[in-house]
Amino acid sequence: MKRLISLTVNGETHEVVVEPRTTLLEVLRDSLGLTGAKEGCSLGNCGACTVLLDGRPVLSCLLLAVEAQGKEIVTIEGLAEGSKLHPLQEAFVEHGAVQCGFCIPGMILSAKALLDENPHPTEEEVKEAISGNLCRCTGYSNAVRAILAAAKAKEEGKR
Amino acid sequence: MEGLGYLLALPRFEYFSPKTLEEAWSLLERYGREAELLAGGTDLLVAMKKGKKSPRYLIGIKSLSELDFIEYDGELLRIGALATLQSVADASVVQERFGLLATACRKVGTPQVRNMGTLVGNICNAGPSQDTVPSLLVLGAKVKAVSSKGYRLIPLESFFRGPFETVLEDGEMVTEVQIPTPPPHSAGRYRWMTKRTTVDETLVGVAVLVVADPTYERCEDARIALCSVAPTPFRAKRAEALLRGKGIDEGLLEEVGRTAAEETRPRGRAEYRKLLTSLLVRKALTEAWKSLKGQEVVS
Repeated sequence: MKRLISLTVNGETHEVVVEPRTTLLEVLRDSLGLTGAKEGCSLGNCGACTVLLDGRPVLSCLLLAVEAQGKEIVTIEGLAEGSKLHPLQEAFVEHGAVQCGFCIPGMILSAKALLDENPHPTEEEVKEAISGNLCRCTGYSNAVRAILAAAKAKEEGKR
Repeated sequence: MEGLGYLLALPRFEYFSPKTLEEAWSLLERYGREAELLAGGTDLLVAMKKGKKSPRYLIGIKSLSELDFIEYDGELLRIGALATLQSVADASVVQERFGLLATACRKVGTPQVRNMGTLVGNICNAGPSQDTVPSLLVLGAKVKAVSSKGYRLIPLESFFRGPFETVLEDGEMVTEVQIPTPPPHSAGRYRWMTKRTTVDETLVGVAVLVVADPTYERCEDARIALCSVAPTPFRAKRAEALLRGKGIDEGLLEEVGRTAAEETRPRGRAEYRKLLTSLLVRKALTEAWKSLKGQEVVS
């Protein structure tokens, strides 16, 4: 049976009609046109569908849309301010961390959750934080460098 | 338009979000085997997408906030059915007093899976390779199963009937897991080897808890539990018995490792899994025993 639900995505509230079996990923992509989150494996292994739910990275392919009501959802589209990229996005560009790009939205969101909680992560902590975001181009090194650089830039910006 | 162009969509089901525990039991009783409880969803929804499960009714329990707790009263650690694996791994009481459980929770899945999946869900999924179970077995955990008729405490050791099967009856749900404080002069470890897959599923998992006598010369008691090497996680009791009352040395550890390996019943890659079992048992016991001896030095 279809039902009307209300979701808060990137600070905006949307009313959408879903079935119980509709995943958050399907709503984001099909109903809201937010195609940054990707369907990779669809089984919770690859992390391409990662979004932030109340600040924590989760898998939108394994989350029923009806159960995402009342939560703050952030997708990659919610990071830039107008045409100004988020520092993590800038760092990914600058360090050549993007190859095919399929894993990048999820990886950046995992990185954002890390830096929000732990602004000075070690390299090990960065690797752990993105361990649930598989990159088939195997471009991990530059991504790790980009995340560490973004953390450093944020620190320098504060001084 | 939904479902269009997706590799894997969920099958249809009816969804309930009970607001009280009583409502959850009555739904469970009404729909019996046709219903499944949904907490984190990281096992159940995957099984449904793969077509391995097709419940007609899903009972989502995320609104039952009274099940989201980690409480410690100095004797008993109680973890509610909605506590995520990450919240258990991060809880300071778990890290300080139940370190091997924190280690095991951190081993499960990926950060995203740990943010969604629950400890109780990991137990109830009852897979042979559930990482959290060996640590809980050596700690002597019990699960609280509740139904409209009341509740019972089930020792985790007798909770599993077979792979992906528990002794829970229709209408029963696990609301919490209870873990007693480890005895004084004890130390535990969880160690594992994984397959090389997307989420590095455990190939052999070993939890140990060793208790020293007050002089730290002999092993007073020892518990060893294994996962991924038999239809269900289990305690290697013959191996445990070898340690009781003994001073620990290399020769004894080798015998204990070998005995634990003999107690396994691996389905695939049996020889390799047995070899890993004996090595990991020795490694975990050595580390645990060393950390105890270390305490002796500092205290």
